[in-house]
Amino acid sequence: MPAPNDPPSDEALLTRYRTGDAAAFEALYARHRQGLYRFLVALSNKAELAEEIYQETWLSLIRSSTQPQGRASFRTWLFQIARNRLIDYWRKHGIHNPLHDSYDEQLHAQPDDSAGPEQQLSLSRDQARLDAALQGLPEDQREVFLLRLHGDLEVPQIAALTGAPLETVKSRLRYAQQKLRRLLAEEIRV
Amino acid sequence: MTDSRPTPDDDLLQHFRQHSTGEPPASLDAFILNTARREAPAPQPSLLQRWLHACQQPRWQMAFATVAGVALMIGVVMREPVPQQEISTATFSAAPPPQAFSAPAPAPMARMAVAPKADRAPLQAEMADTSAAKLSKRAPVALPSLEEGLQEILDLRAAGQTQAADEKLLALYKRFPNDDLPARLEALHKR
Repeated sequence: MPAPNDPPSDEALLTRYRTGDAAAFEALYARHRQGLYRFLVALSNKAELAEEIYQETWLSLIRSSTQPQGRASFRTWLFQIARNRLIDYWRKHGIHNPLHDSYDEQLHAQPDDSAGPEQQLSLSRDQARLDAALQGLPEDQREVFLLRLHGDLEVPQIAALTGAPLETVKSRLRYAQQKLRRLLAEEIRV
Repeated sequence: MTDSRPTPDDDLLQHFRQHSTGEPPASLDAFILNTARREAPAPQPSLLQRWLHACQQPRWQMAFATVAGVALMIGVVMREPVPQQEISTATFSAAPPPQAFSAPAPAPMARMAVAPKADRAPLQAEMADTSAAKLSKRAPVALPSLEEGLQEILDLRAAGQTQAADEKLLALYKRFPNDDLPARLEALHKR
């Protein structure tokens, strides 16, 4: 049971906004604006497209009267709307949807020889290198990693959002992290 | 059962979070927040407020007026007619008392005043009875027609009761002020 001084949940804020409390939306927006924006920029790799999808996502939420269904949290719901909008955009503009590529993680899995604590500490901190490493990931791994990174979603939530089996999401996340660690460590060595 | 425990790779996530940059443009923030403020649903009014608001809408005003008008019309149409006796009683009571009318009058008038009073006595008694019985329908008052009245006058004259005949004729004058009673009497007499 939440303590009286706990901040209201996302769902409570959304309900308050739906009943006319405009300030509740501002609180909700402040909580998720940064994570959603960064997720879209990293996933689409285009700032302009990310801004368009970001705006559409929030306007859709403002103009909709629906709430997250079932056990879905507001955060999962928000990121799902954004992801669906992006896929719709790709489909509408005849762009191949990279998220639907079938990808055999086993073929791309390489021995993770950079998991040691010393190498973890020496990960590249250059923003461009971090971005390049992210873009070097296969799309489905990148999506899972970005949902974990910017959406702060747990593995089961990511599985529900993407419609992928739980074990598949786990393995994608694991391979993504291994590859990122290796790429960033290689950057240091180079 | 799902495994949501922190993984050993959380430090990598932390590393990326620390070095992630990128914020939505301020103009985009302002646009979204303004839209949210502008399109926020109106606070739910109470039942009374909603009712009052509905009353202020022209179409609802028209609807209420129509309903009220129909109800009024139905009320008027369905209303029972006022018993005729009450109207008659009111007419009689509003009329000046016959004594006051007849007192200064000359003898024929006084006689005339007495005669209707005597005629009315049974009628008033009958009306009193019907009022007591709370009858809503009008009890018909059997007044002689003009033709019958004239015939009675001729009969009275023929019997030598000229005074009574005059009184009858005066009463007929009151009932039928627009008829040429002497001419009709003459015509009836010739028949």
